Amino acid sequence: MSEKYGIIASFPDTPSFYHAAEKVRDAGYKKWDTYSSFPVHGMPAAQGQPRSKVPVFTFCGGITGFCLGLGMVWFMNAFDYPLIIRGQPFFSPVFPFPIMYELTILLSAFGTLGGMFITNLLPQHYSPLFNSDKFLEVSGDRLVIAIESRDGKYDPVATRQFLEGIGGTDIEEVSA
Amino acid sequence: MSSDITNSKGSNVGLIALVVGVIGIAIALLGFKQGWDNGDVRPIMSWLIGFGFWLSIAIGMLFLTQIWYVFHARWPTIIRRQCEHFMAAFPYLLFLFLPLLAIPFLHENPGLLWKWMDGTNALPGHGTVGEDPLYAWKSPFLNIDFFTIRAFGIFAVFIGVSALLRKWSFNTDKTGDVNNTHKSRRLSSLGLFLCAIAMTLGSIDWFKSLEYHWFSTMYGVWFFAACMRAALASIIILCVILAAKGYLKGILKQAHRYDVACMMLAFTVFWAYISFSQYFLIYSANIPEETFWYNIREKNFDGGLNSWWWVSMGLIFGHFLTPFLLLLWYKTKVVVWRTVAVSVWILAFHLLDLYWNIIPGKLVVPDHGEGYLVRQFSITPYDVAALVGIGGICIFAMCRSMKKAEPIPVRDPNILTSLNYTE
Repeated sequence: MSEKYGIIASFPDTPSFYHAAEKVRDAGYKKWDTYSSFPVHGMPAAQGQPRSKVPVFTFCGGITGFCLGLGMVWFMNAFDYPLIIRGQPFFSPVFPFPIMYELTILLSAFGTLGGMFITNLLPQHYSPLFNSDKFLEVSGDRLVIAIESRDGKYDPVATRQFLEGIGGTDIEEVSA
Repeated sequence: MSSDITNSKGSNVGLIALVVGVIGIAIALLGFKQGWDNGDVRPIMSWLIGFGFWLSIAIGMLFLTQIWYVFHARWPTIIRRQCEHFMAAFPYLLFLFLPLLAIPFLHENPGLLWKWMDGTNALPGHGTVGEDPLYAWKSPFLNIDFFTIRAFGIFAVFIGVSALLRKWSFNTDKTGDVNNTHKSRRLSSLGLFLCAIAMTLGSIDWFKSLEYHWFSTMYGVWFFAACMRAALASIIILCVILAAKGYLKGILKQAHRYDVACMMLAFTVFWAYISFSQYFLIYSANIPEETFWYNIREKNFDGGLNSWWWVSMGLIFGHFLTPFLLLLWYKTKVVVWRTVAVSVWILAFHLLDLYWNIIPGKLVVPDHGEGYLVRQFSITPYDVAALVGIGGICIFAMCRSMKKAEPIPVRDPNILTSLNYTE
């Protein structure tokens, strides 16, 4: 049990939780996170998080869907088995448009869902933080900041003092 | 939020707008008079385009105000007030519509602009309007008396609903009575239906009936989408100007701009969706009474591409694809100059969309059988004069209203939520 996952500290209310997060960010820690049972507005900025990368996945999914729809209709109606419909051309960007945009929407949605899983590192059924009984109270009313031992600035003593200094209570190390 | 600053600035801008507006209107009326005397419809269409452009902004703002009331939206409270100010333009717009309404009553050819208004007007290869079975079928709706009644009815709805919403909202400033908000919500839930009907009838009467032969069930929705895009783009520009000049400094936040820009993105897609649907249904059905409307926007009678083909491509790539791709980026929605640039872009192409809907028409060529010419794309000085002139009057109306009330609804029940709004 000498291996430690990290150190957690609890905070009594949302403002102190929020401002503590800003101080952890400014102290230069990278591998850390905040945990609460409700969303705290502005927390991503207080944690110094960049904007989500999910839109990139959405965009790539959408482009793929658009091209897939276009290619599919071209392959089926103009290349593999040319069909005469209402005297219209075998292929045109006009009539397959419903298929193109439906596939754009479908694959955008898949891209968004997949991107959300990938950027959130999901599925993740286990976290060493569950070893702490105090951490489990996050699903109730506890507000927790956890700094991981793999952070370059992590030091068992200095980090504990730092968390005390920014108003953390119930500070404990969590085993890996 | 000193009302002195508001008043002095408002009156200055209002006065300039009034002077510019009157000069513009005078020039546009000169063109109108020339067209009237020569039987040339193009300068009269300049007036219709200028009128349509500013009317669409006012209608869009009226819809947004009511939609925000119905959905209990709290964040746009400070923006709603700016819409309420602009809605003061409706009575002036009715007044500015009267020259067009005078044509069927005072001109020797009542069908100078809307050609169905005179049964003796010739059609390409089809005799006259009076001999046209399609006009006979549509005449219970398309006749001058009913048209006039509808025009006043449409404006009665717009003026009535906007005046009540304005009055109650301004009353809240003075009394703080929350009942004003409740009344506005109740009116909005009915007013949305009334305004939807009025807007649809207006778009059919004034724009669609220019080619009365045509059929499209999407036309009212197209105009709705166009109005919303114009209004949202104008709101961004207006609010950014007000924030820079001081009335909304520190009040208009990134979150407000971001959300309006998100709605701009949504309505860009919506405009493309219904514009394409209209085209797609007509393309698929392939019925001559419907396809001619798109044909003249693409080709001349001899089959060669005409100027409208380029305008059509401009609308697809400029009015949809460019703003769509730009607005997908988060930065476009929060960096002020980028959002304003996209808004100006959208307004410019909204104007082009109105050109595209209003100007093309079949011109009869004598002794040419079924043949016709297409009225081509052009921008005339009278277009600019009408646009600036009618715009000047609308901005004057807005500034005049700004002197009457606070820059934001200071005692509205939702004002704090709006002031403290974050993304």
